This record gives sequence, structure tokens and C-alpha cells, in this order.
Amino acid sequence: MANSMAKSFLQVAATEEVVSPLRVVQIEGLVILKIIKHCKEFSPALVTGQLLGLDVGIVLEVTNCFPFPIREEDEEIEADGANYQLEMMRCLREVNVDNNTVGWYQSTILGSYQTVELIETFMNYQENIRRCVCIIYDPSRSNQGVLALKALKLSDSFMELYRANSFTGEKLREKNLSWMDIFEEIPIKVSNSALISAFMTELESDTPVTQCDYDRLQLSSNPYMERNMEFLIECMDDLSVEQQKFQFYYRSLSRQQAQQQAWLQKRRADNMQRKAAGEDPLPEEDPSNPIFKPIPEPSRLESFLITNQIANYCNQINGVSGQSFNRLYLMKSLHDN
Amino acid sequence: MASKFWTQGGSDTEEEETDIEDEIENGGAGETTAAAAGSRYLQTNASDSDDSDGQKRVVRSAKDKRFEEMASTVDQMKNAMKINDWVSLQESFDKINKQLEKVMRVTESDRVPNLYIKCLVMLEDFLAEALANKEAKKKMSSSNHKALNAMKQKLKKNNKQYEELINKYRENPESEEEKFEDEDEDESGSELEDPSQIAAESSDEDDEGEDMDDDDADGAWEKKLSKKEKLMDREFKKDPSEITWDTVNKKFKEVVAARGRKGTGKFEQVEQLTFLTKVAKTPAQKLEILFSVISAQFDVNPGLSGHMPINVWKKCVQNMLVILDILVQYPNIVVDDMVEPDENETQKGADYDGTIRVWGNLVAFLERIDNEFFKSLQCIDPHTREYVERLRDEPLFLVLAQNVQEYLERIGDLKSAAKVALRRVELVYYKPQEVYDAMRKLAELSEDGEKDGDETKVEETRGTSAFVVTPELVSRKPTFPENSRALMDILVTLIYKSGDERTKARAMLCDIYHHALFDEFSIARDLLLMSHLQDNIQHMDVSTQILFNRAMAQVGLCAFRVGLIAEGHGCLSELYSGGRVKELLAQGVSQSRYHEKTPEQERLERRRQMPYHMHINLELLEAVHLICAMLLEVPNMAANSLDAKRKVISKTFRRLLEVSERQPFTGPPENVRDHVMAATRALCKGDSQKAFDIINSLDVWKLLRNRESVLEMLKAKIKEEALRTYLFTYCSSYDTLGLDQLTRMFDLSDAQIHSIVSKMLVNEELHASWDQPTRCIIFHDVEYSRLQALAFQLTEKLSILAESNERAVEARTGGGGLDLPLRRRDNQEYAAGTAGGGGGRWPDLSYGQGRQGSSGRAAYTGGGRPLALGQASRDRSGQSRGYSGRAGSGMRGSQMDASARMVSLNRGVRG
Repeated sequence: MANSMAKSFLQVAATEEVVSPLRVVQIEGLVILKIIKHCKEFSPALVTGQLLGLDVGIVLEVTNCFPFPIREEDEEIEADGANYQLEMMRCLREVNVDNNTVGWYQSTILGSYQTVELIETFMNYQENIRRCVCIIYDPSRSNQGVLALKALKLSDSFMELYRANSFTGEKLREKNLSWMDIFEEIPIKVSNSALISAFMTELESDTPVTQCDYDRLQLSSNPYMERNMEFLIECMDDLSVEQQKFQFYYRSLSRQQAQQQAWLQKRRADNMQRKAAGEDPLPEEDPSNPIFKPIPEPSRLESFLITNQIANYCNQINGVSGQSFNRLYLMKSLHDN
Repeated sequence: MASKFWTQGGSDTEEEETDIEDEIENGGAGETTAAAAGSRYLQTNASDSDDSDGQKRVVRSAKDKRFEEMASTVDQMKNAMKINDWVSLQESFDKINKQLEKVMRVTESDRVPNLYIKCLVMLEDFLAEALANKEAKKKMSSSNHKALNAMKQKLKKNNKQYEELINKYRENPESEEEKFEDEDEDESGSELEDPSQIAAESSDEDDEGEDMDDDDADGAWEKKLSKKEKLMDREFKKDPSEITWDTVNKKFKEVVAARGRKGTGKFEQVEQLTFLTKVAKTPAQKLEILFSVISAQFDVNPGLSGHMPINVWKKCVQNMLVILDILVQYPNIVVDDMVEPDENETQKGADYDGTIRVWGNLVAFLERIDNEFFKSLQCIDPHTREYVERLRDEPLFLVLAQNVQEYLERIGDLKSAAKVALRRVELVYYKPQEVYDAMRKLAELSEDGEKDGDETKVEETRGTSAFVVTPELVSRKPTFPENSRALMDILVTLIYKSGDERTKARAMLCDIYHHALFDEFSIARDLLLMSHLQDNIQHMDVSTQILFNRAMAQVGLCAFRVGLIAEGHGCLSELYSGGRVKELLAQGVSQSRYHEKTPEQERLERRRQMPYHMHINLELLEAVHLICAMLLEVPNMAANSLDAKRKVISKTFRRLLEVSERQPFTGPPENVRDHVMAATRALCKGDSQKAFDIINSLDVWKLLRNRESVLEMLKAKIKEEALRTYLFTYCSSYDTLGLDQLTRMFDLSDAQIHSIVSKMLVNEELHASWDQPTRCIIFHDVEYSRLQALAFQLTEKLSILAESNERAVEARTGGGGLDLPLRRRDNQEYAAGTAGGGGGRWPDLSYGQGRQGSSGRAAYTGGGRPLALGQASRDRSGQSRGYSGRAGSGMRGSQMDASARMVSLNRGVRG
């Protein structure tokens, strides 16, 4: 382990200049267990924690993590949270653990994580750390026998736009950015030291099936589907609100254009008269006039996020229903046998 | 001090005071304070003479004394004239008028004393002189000038009363001035007729009744008229053989030119023209004059809102008939209003061969006559005998219209003929067969009797002096087909062939109305739908819209009578949606609480009211509407009891029901609404018998012709709907339900129940199946899982979203694709289908868990975050989420109602 790490260090030193894209997030088994433990214990509350590790070329290694304490509503203890974080880092350094922040993890319910807050946090992290990931764990999904773990990062083009804060239709078209291009999912690779792997093999029982496999056969997917539906409905409502914003925008825009046209017409007529009278024409634009003040176009960010969310829910429903069908067919064939 | 002084002086002046008082009594009452000085002088003057005569008061008679007074005033006036003092002259004039009154009272005679007349003449002359002398007028002081003008007015007004006497007086002493003066006076006299007098005259005329040509009551113009008459007689009568076309034409032109002038008496003109018709030399001339007579008769009409006096109207009709007589007799005479005919066109005699063009427009006259008839019916109180009398004149008009139409058809003017035909249609279309028969009978009976009278009268008025005798060629008796349908068919076919757009539309509506009246629902419906009238009725004029509303109401009633409840409701619900039925049908002015009408609007509305005999009974209409709504809505409510808001068929009915349910105590039903509400309550419980009894107790049913069959139908319908309601309401309580039991409960035959229930099964309103061997209905307990319900909800949201997306695209592309509304409707239909299909629509299921979860999330995300995460941890669920979806669906519902309103006619018979 230490050996490989040293090599990694060398690699980093060698390729420092070249910015290579992040390809893989390599997580220690221990970290995963810690995340799962933390998230599960507090479910359905949502929790967050810090990821520590190393950034090595195309691989981001996550070697450790620690949870943030759950804080009360009071905002004033925010400083405490920061202190805790710093203190924790210091302690870890003292015991010689990797203490580079590489991102954070958070739990979610049914994959509803695509929010503006997440993006803001991302941008905040991005200021200090060039490469950071967010690991999202969904305890409710894990109940169905799946390891619902996701590593996310924001796409570069999106970040650019976000920094410029220009989510107008034109810019989006220019960048060719659609709702799918906001988040990038990075494959996760779980790595364990050889010792741990050997120990695990030792521990592994002889039974062909595990508890996890039993979980997978659970037939009741209804509550899960229902909640997905509910969230979908909520999303629809949000989307219509967004849509209304746009409709309103277009309506006021067309009204403004009509006003501008009328004004221009009048000004031109005036100018003709002035020309006839031998006077200088007035300028055809009048920036002080309120009707020339551009109406801000509503941001598309929210609707993009909602669309993302919807896609997420749809995927989940798709996946779960597919699995359910599989199980049903399995049961059927079992019965037939 | 002052009082002391007064009291002291009191005894001294007592006598004088009394005298002054006397004087005041005599003449000073009307004097103005402005002229105080003058009056003072006059008074003292007068009192002087009075005083001097005081001794003789006992000896002289009161009469003499008054005359004396008058004479002295005249003297004063003379003095005033000499010094050109118009102020005092004016006062004296007032005084002399007062004195005249007293004199007249004392002498107790109608004769005005000569002294007075003489004075008037004198004044008049002086006035004319003063007016002529412009130089002097300029020099006058302003008060004097003012007085002169006032005097001029007063004198003119005053002299009018004594015109004749003045003339007589003038004739004696100074005869050479007569002519000029005469003319002058005539002019001035008539010019200054004050409006009240005119009104009095015209009202007198109204009351007068039949004959207004030979005996007139009122004074002023009557005398003048007689004078004119005399004049004319002098001109024409003295030498009948000498009357030429030219003289008549000249006189005619003169009279016509006076038309519309301020001073021209309207009746007078009619009289003059009528007289001229008698002396007309050629038929064409007679025709021309007759047209003018009719125009003049139209002028008699006092205002836009008032109607023409009935006797004038009748005369008008007679004149029209005479015109037709002439036209029939001399086919070479052409009536035209396009070209201005030659000046001497009418000179051509009866034996002239070529066409003679006479200016005139028969159709316009006829329409005007009809309008006047309509207006008179609007104005007359429908509960009086007068109204009935007036209605009897209808055949008279129909004769005229028929004749005009025949004439127009003969000369090939089909377009005008169509217009006339429309007028006839509009008099017939609302009459049921019974009324039509009655009218026919009346026409046959009364015409015989009346005709003689009319003829003799016509003969009388025409007298022996008519030069152009017109035989009655046109029939004076209407010919009605046996059946009003036949008449309608003939007229309507003509209109469809050659009428213009509006005429056709109106004729179509009348046709629809008539068909509906005769219970031919399918024909009426087909006509309505084929003509596409409902698409563009908004662009037509108000009276056509009213006709449309009337036709719709009648079609609705018809649908109800033939047992098509849904169609009936479809026709009527629109009328009742706004609560302005009266206004929509023009059967009364409805008062709106929130919106004050301007007087102008109110007048307009009053002008388009339907006469009483054309009304559609509003109670019957309301009863039919509410019963239709009840029959549709009660099962519907029972079917959708879970979600009352959804799928409302009749909003009006729902609202009424809510109101009646809110009442703490429901008394016995009083009006139509109460009855239907009581019936609804019974029907909701499935008690068909009680519901029917309540409905049956309404007394509007006696208005129906085939009452028995309609009630029979209604009973069957109520039973059926009661059964449906019962099944909807209690299906969840049953596992199985025996056919026999239902037969017993609802008093329906097996086959009927079987068909009703089967229909419900097919429509997926009821989740059950028949079990034939045991004659049972087996209910399937179908309940949606939560997941399915949510899926429904989601589809609805999606459809809303898709719809607004489309709208956004539409706005972006600038209004567009024709397929959009269609697709939208499909969506709605689909949504409605999914909604109605289950028979139970999921209400807004509480999102208990989801909400909790997300709000929990909101609480937790605030915690334990690093610097970066900590800020602005607002969760999405925290956003204000206006429930736009709900509002949207509500709107959609109303849209659907609107789109379905006319289409509902199209749909097949339900039930």
C-alpha cells in the first residue's frame, strides 16, 4: 500500500503540468463502510462528511473520511463546524493519515440530490481543490440489495457557465449544453489492501447466498415506487412553475418589443419632420427610456436541475420495475418447476 | 324711532295705502322690481284717476270702471310710444293684459273688447315701425332695447290668440295691408307655438280616435287649419275644371318643401296631402302624393321610443293598399328609389304607354309599418283590452305584406320580396297551430265586417272630388294556408332562394323556432347545425342574437318534450349560466346589482323587448332547465361523490343545490326552483315517486300541449335516473343485487332495468357483471392502489405540462397550428376518460410521507456542513409552490364545457 502510494506521489510529481481528466474514483473499502454506517444510522436524516485522499493523475484516491456532526438549526454555531473540521484535519495529520480534502459525501433519499445547493457547494470546493468529487449514498435504495453509491462531479463546461452566471437560452445553445451535461458520473473502483482481501476471503462463508442476495429477492417494491411517483409529481409542479416564468417572460418581451417598435416609429416620423424643417435628427436609440431596458431572461438552471431530477426518478423507476419483473418471472418459473 | 314715525304717519296715509293696495290688486302683481320707478309713476298715475273717479264709484258699473281703466292704460301706452319708451310700454302692456282678464270676467263674454284689439294693432304697427327704423334702434339705451325685444316676443305670442279679431279689425280700417300682414302673422303664429301646446294637440289627436279629418277639438291650429282648408278649397274647389296638373304639382311641392320645418304641423301636412290625393290629375301623381302622405304619416310619430298613433297606422296601411291598387291598375308605373325621376314624369297621364318612374320604396314603407306595429305592441300594456285590439290589426298588416310581396314577385324584385316574406315569417313563426288557427278565423270573420266599414270610410274621405278613382284591385283579405307550417315553408323557401345573408339567417332561426314549436326536434337541430349559425351569431346584430336565443330556448323546450334530456340541457344551460335570461330573451329588463346601466343602454334595451304575446314562458323554461339539470346531475353527483368538484355538468344547478342545502329549514316548495330542489333531494335518496309527485305539482305543465305524454316521459326518466343514482350510491354496500328487488323498488320492467344497468356496465360507470341464471348483479370491488392513483395524478400533471408547453411554442411561433386545439381537446378527453373511467377520481391524496420526508430533509441539511455546505441550505420543498395545477385543471374544465355545449346536440341519445 505504502509502496503504491509512493509511486503515486512520483507520478503526481511527474505529471503535474498536464491536466488529465478524472477517470476513476478509487475508494478504500473502509471508507465505504464508514460512509454506509454513518448514513444508515442517521437515515432518513441527511448527513454529510468529508472525504480525504489523494489526487493521482486520472485516479482520485479516497483513502479516508470523517463525518460532520449534525448541527442544530442555529446558524451561529457554524464557526464550530468549521473549527471541528480544522481540528479533525489536524488530528488526522498528526496520526499520519492522508489529510487532503478531495470532496465530500452525503446521503440522499431516492436520489433527490440535484439541487442548486449541491452545485454551490461544488463551486466552493472547486475554488480550493482542483479535483473534487461528491459521493452520494442512498440508504433507501441500498435496502433493496444494491450498493447505491455514486461519485459525481460537475462538468467543466457547466462550471464555466456557472461562473459567468449566464444560463440564457442563447448561451446554452452556444455551449451545446443540455441538462444531461451538468453532472458527470465517475466510475467508482473499490480497492482493498491485499491483507484485507485475504482476510475477507478467510471470512467468507461457504453458503452460496448471502443476506444481500435475499434482499434482492424482496418483492415489495410498491412503497418505493409510490414515493418515486410522489416526487415525480412534485417535480412536475416545479417544472410548470418554471414554465410559467418563461411564459411570463415571453409575454413581457413581446409587449416590450411592440412598445419599442411603436417608439421607433414615432421617433422616425419625428425625424422626418425635423429633417424637413432642417434640424438634426434625434438619435434612434434612447438608453434612458425604460422600454429599452432589457428584461432579464429567467435562468434555465432550475429547470435543468429539475429535468435532471426527473430523469433520475425515471431511471430509478425503470430499474426497479425491471428488477421486479425479473423477480416475478423468476418466481413464476420457480412455481412452474 | 322709525316705528314711531310709521305709527304716526299711519293714520295719514291710510287712505292712500288702501288705494295703492287696490292698485296692486288691479295690475301691479306682475311687475318687476327692476322697473320699479316706472311702475311707481304708473301707479300714482292710475291712482290719481282712480281717486278722481272715486266719487262716482257707486254710480258706475264695475264694467264701465274696468273699461275706463283700460282706456287710461291705452293712453299711457300712447304717451310712451310718443317718447319711444319701451320700458314703460312693456309694463303697460302687461297691465293691459291683466286688465283684459278682469274685463272679460266682468263682461262674462268671450268677446274681446274692441279697445284692446285696437291697442294691439297699434302696438303691432308701432313695433314694426320701430323694428324697421334701424337708426333709432341703434340709438336706444340698452334697457330700452331689451324691452323692445321682449315686447316683440310678447306681442307675437299674445297676438296669436286674437289673430282673427286683429285681422277683422285691420280689414275694416286699413285693407290694403292685409295680405302682407296675414302672411306675416301666419308665419309668426305657427312659429311660436310652444311645445306644450303641440304636445297637447298631439295628445288630443291620440285620444280623438277614428276621424280626425273633419272634426277637431283644439283651438289654435284647428282654426288655422280650417283657414288653410278654406284656402285650398278656394283654390281648387271653386273651379274643378280649371285645376291642372301644374297647380296640383305646385301645391304639392310647396307642402312637401314645408316638411320637417319647425313650424309645420305634422297632422296638418297629412291633411293637406290627403286632400291633394283627391285632386291629383294622373295616377302617377296620385301615387307620388300618396307616398308623401305615408312619409308624412310616419313623421307623425312623436319620438323614437313612442309608437305611431294607431288610427294613423291604420290609415297608413290603407294608403299602402291604395298604392298597390294603382300599381296593379297601371302596370307601366314603376316605383323606384334609386334614380331621381324626371320633374314632370308624373304628368304623363293614365293613357301613357311607356314606363312612368315614381320615386318610392315599398319595402322600406312596409318595414316601417311593421316596426311601428311592433313598437305599439311593445308600448301597450299587455294586460289591457287595447293590446288585444291591437293584436287584431295583425291580419291587416299581413294582407298588406302579402300583397306587396305578390306585387314584388310579379315585377321580379325577388330580393325585396324576400325581405317582405321575412316580415311575414316573423309574424307567424312563434304561433302554435292553435293561435294560428285563431288568427285565421279572426281574419276571415272580422275582415268581412270591417271591410265594409273601411270601404265606406275610404269612400267618404275620398269624396266625390277624387279625380283619379282607384278601384280596389288588391284583395283586402288575407289568404292563409290551412297549416302554419305550409305558410312557413312557402315563405322560407322564397327567402332561402333570394334573400340576403341577414334575411336568410333570420328566416332560418324563425324556421328552427317553428319546427321546435311543433316538436320536430331532429329537423330543428339539423337546421341549426347545418346552418352553422352558432359559429357566427356573435357577429350579427343584437335583435338577431335575441332571435337566436329564442330559437335555442325553444329547441331546448322541444328536446325536453320529446324526451331528450341531455340535448335539452345543452340548449338551455347556456341561457341560464349568466342569470340574465330575461335580458337574453328580451323579455324584460334584468337589474344587475353590480353594474349600473346608463339610461342610454336602458333605453336601447327597452327598445328591443319582445312584445308580450311572443314571450316564451320563463317559468316553464326554468322548470325545464332545472329538471334537465337535475336528471343529469343527480346520478353524476352520486357517481362522483368522492370528488364533488370534478365533472360538473350544470354549475347553475350545483349552486342552487348548495344554497338550498345551506338552509336550516326547508319549507314546502313555493316557486319552480324550490320544487326542483325538493325533487332533487328525493331523487338523491332514490325516491322516484316522491320526486315525480313534487315535479308534477308544478303548475307550469298546463302550458304544455301534450301534457300527459310529457309527464309520462318525465316519470320514466325520473325512475331511470333514480335507479342509476341508487346504484351509484349504494353499489359499495352490495355484493350482489337481485333484479327482482330493483323491479320492485323502482317500478320498472325487467327489460328496462336490464338495459339501464347494462348501459352502465358498458360505459364502465358501474363495476359489476350480470349473473343471468340467478338474475343478479354481481359487483366487483374495484379499488385503486395508491400507486395507480398516483399514476393518474401524474398523467394529469403531465398533460397540463404538455398543454402549456404547446401554448408556449404557440406564443413563440406566433400563433399557429390548427391542430393544437384539437390535440388539446383530445388530451382533455383522455384526461376526462381516465378520470371518469374509474367512477372514482382520486382526490388530492395527502403526500403525508413524502412531505414529511422532504421537510425532514430540509431540517437536516442545515446541520453539520462544512463552510461550503452550510450556507444557503434551502431545500426545494421549501420553495413556495403555487398549486398551479389545480387552477389549470379548473380552467380546463370550463373550456371543455364551452366546447361541449353545442356539440352536445350532436351526441347520441343518452339513456
